[in-house]
Amino acid sequence: MQASDEELVALVVATQDNNAFGELVRRHQGLIRGMMARMSRNRALAEDLAQDAFIRAFQKIGSFSGTGSFKSWLCKIAYNEFLMAARKRKATDKAMEKFKGEVDDTEMPRDMGNVVDLDRALATLKDDERTAVVLCYSCGMSHSEAAEATGMPLGTVKSHVNRGREKLKAFFETAEAVA
Amino acid sequence: MTMNDAFDERLRAAFQAAQPGEDQADAFVKKVKAKMSSPMKKRVVILGGAGSTGSAIAGTQLESIFNAVQLPTEGWMASIATFASPEVMATSVLALMIGGFAFILPKRI
Repeated sequence: MQASDEELVALVVATQDNNAFGELVRRHQGLIRGMMARMSRNRALAEDLAQDAFIRAFQKIGSFSGTGSFKSWLCKIAYNEFLMAARKRKATDKAMEKFKGEVDDTEMPRDMGNVVDLDRALATLKDDERTAVVLCYSCGMSHSEAAEATGMPLGTVKSHVNRGREKLKAFFETAEAVA
Repeated sequence: MTMNDAFDERLRAAFQAAQPGEDQADAFVKKVKAKMSSPMKKRVVILGGAGSTGSAIAGTQLESIFNAVQLPTEGWMASIATFASPEVMATSVLALMIGGFAFILPKRI
């Protein structure tokens, strides 16, 4: 029987077992790499950030209390890693602007309804809206978990998610109508 | 929670589809494990450099310190002083310091 995330975490905490942590990385790498790619909109940067997020998670794994899911805890760490990287590029806002200018257009468009590219749709959102939408829809966080991860008030997160969702819906409908 | 209408399902599916595939998982895990096994390279270089510089500076001062020490004429300290010149004592202290760095540096904070 396959060990649960929590059992693997307990093993890593008790024995610093690299293989057990490797299994956790294997299970969640797609989620974290996808999340970083959607947030930074730069594939190379996203890969580095995802690796750094897992290293940080390994270093802080003793702080995982087990009250929420490991996935949410990991997404929170990854989000903080993304923020720290953005701050390193002076100020978060300027960094986001910089990321905006570095959209990876070499990536093949991925379909939604056979037409639209998710990354291009996300590019139409404001930074906070994109963050909230990515955390809730990509990481599967609840609004409360996203609020805790980002430090935003719960109501603000709900507003960002709803606004972001409506914008995405409008984007996809327009794109599909044109197609 | 997010809403659960058809659009939400499509959005979740789109995020799911946008995730990197399992075929790249092994390579990614290897990269992370490689970083985990040597995450402190920079720290080792910085601390090692600082420690070596400090040890070298301290080492130049040790001999004069041991020269100025009034050694006892009896007891085990006197026995040591008989066989250990100031140079030997300075070298021993340096060896202890280097040993300390070698012990501490590989450890994680």
